[in-house]
Amino acid sequence: MPLLELKGLSRRFGALVAVDAVDMGIEAGEIRAVIGPNGAGKSTLFNLITGLFRPSAGAVYFAGAEITGLPAHQIAGYGIARTFQLTHLFPQLTARENVRIAAQARDKGRWQLLGGGGVLARTAALADEALERMRLSPLADRPAALLSHGDQRLLEVAMAIAQKPRLLMLDEPTQGLSIEETDHAVDNLKAALAGGELTMILVEHDMEVVFKLADNITVLHRGHVIADGPAAAVRADPVVQRAYLGGAE
Amino acid sequence: MRLGLVLGLVVLAGALLPLGLPRYLLTVLTEGLIFGLFAMSLDLMVGYTRLYSFGHAAAYGLGAYSAALILTHLHWPLPIALVLAVLTTLLVAIPIAWVCTKSTGVSFAMLTLAFAQLGYAMLFRFKEVTGGSDGIDGVPRPAGPFGIDWFQGETGYFYLVLFCLVGSYLLSRAIVRSPFGAVLAGIRENEAKARSLGYNTRAYKMTTVVLAYGFGGLAGALYAPFAGFASPELFFWLVSGRVLIMVIVGGAGTLIGPIFGGAFFLFLEHQLSEITDLWPLIFGSLFIGFVLLAPQGIFGIVAGRLRRKERRAPGGGEEAPDAAA
Repeated sequence: MPLLELKGLSRRFGALVAVDAVDMGIEAGEIRAVIGPNGAGKSTLFNLITGLFRPSAGAVYFAGAEITGLPAHQIAGYGIARTFQLTHLFPQLTARENVRIAAQARDKGRWQLLGGGGVLARTAALADEALERMRLSPLADRPAALLSHGDQRLLEVAMAIAQKPRLLMLDEPTQGLSIEETDHAVDNLKAALAGGELTMILVEHDMEVVFKLADNITVLHRGHVIADGPAAAVRADPVVQRAYLGGAE
Repeated sequence: MRLGLVLGLVVLAGALLPLGLPRYLLTVLTEGLIFGLFAMSLDLMVGYTRLYSFGHAAAYGLGAYSAALILTHLHWPLPIALVLAVLTTLLVAIPIAWVCTKSTGVSFAMLTLAFAQLGYAMLFRFKEVTGGSDGIDGVPRPAGPFGIDWFQGETGYFYLVLFCLVGSYLLSRAIVRSPFGAVLAGIRENEAKARSLGYNTRAYKMTTVVLAYGFGGLAGALYAPFAGFASPELFFWLVSGRVLIMVIVGGAGTLIGPIFGGAFFLFLEHQLSEITDLWPLIFGSLFIGFVLLAPQGIFGIVAGRLRRKERRAPGGGEEAPDAAA
């Protein structure tokens, strides 16, 4: 049974069908890239899975349980962590506090009104570990707003990792990064994924990043899945070449 | 460490003040502390969670009327009346918080205002209980329990208010530094992100509103037996506006700033209104000046100075920047 399963998932915005009857299954431990031209429905798909949008039709199953249309915070509670295409951080708080708050969301003591030193300490330890994995430790005490754009993207990934998610969803983690920053980010992501225990869905435009990280690729085009399979096979698929890769490679 | 020392000195000075003050000033000071507590309660919403309430008078009025009704009709001991008034305010705050947190921003402010005006209107609708425009007069300070009566005199009452203020401050400070308080900072910074991390942000906001009402209710409950009456003006939107200004001028998000802001402005108002009718003009100009020149408020300026000094001193201060954000 796949960890995440989408059945006929659709979302209409007025006359536009942004996501059209998408079926998809992600196995535990798999790293899946979702690619496609702008407007293909990749981010909408993310928002449907994570509860930011309600689907117009279809269903989402996670670890066998239906999570279709649940509020975002409940879906996150199942162990699905995501990053956003446009960086979402707590700008005035330190990098460490950003990650610590993320870790606290998975802690039983997240509601503690008084005291809570124990909760703060153990989530701070998780935060330091996640910052270390993304090689952000030297910047831990700096307010998030003062980090470079590249480090902010990594910080958001660190926040997701600190939640020890069962499914990690990254929406264009290298968006807006320079070539060096992208290499740095990919190295860090690879290191973070090295254990092999993490399941990940990745939306990405940079094909080099996709082929470096992903096992399997799903190609979206105008809301439809037009190809789905192992990275090498999808790359060679003539339909994909025509629709997206443009045969340039 | 240093902050604790400063606070201790302030409390000590406050405790010694009544010994050397003329009775008139003692009364003004007591009212100032009550208003300081009221402003501090609003800071939980405004400073820590960015929930701008324009109807915090509802908390003040609810506390004041609850206490006034219990004290005049039941003659229960003052401390018990205070506790019951706070509990009543908390209880009424739950549905208010539930409705208001359905929206954000300006509509949140308007909803809080609507509830305060609703309370104001209800006072006139239920005249038999509330006394209508006359309010409730002759609110006593009954002694007990166990024959405690030191709070009946003006000096004693000052100490009671000081005790409630310090207690509420310490409690609020613990709340904003707790895991719960950290989530409030997250909501303030980026609510969508907090939600996507798995926090039920509305439940956190509701809790904050209810807590703020509770502390605000205590301030109101202290006011009724202090002034000896509760009147509809306590629910009026001018009170809500004034307390919001005091939070901003005092320094939102610092707890202590609004306490001083509230006390300071009440004191100033008393002094100026005796000299000139134009004091609202001065009050307004001061507010504009602060918003333009020192948006972090009085306490923000002081804390900034202190921190800069500590940074210069070797090995000094490891204050988290978020504490003052």
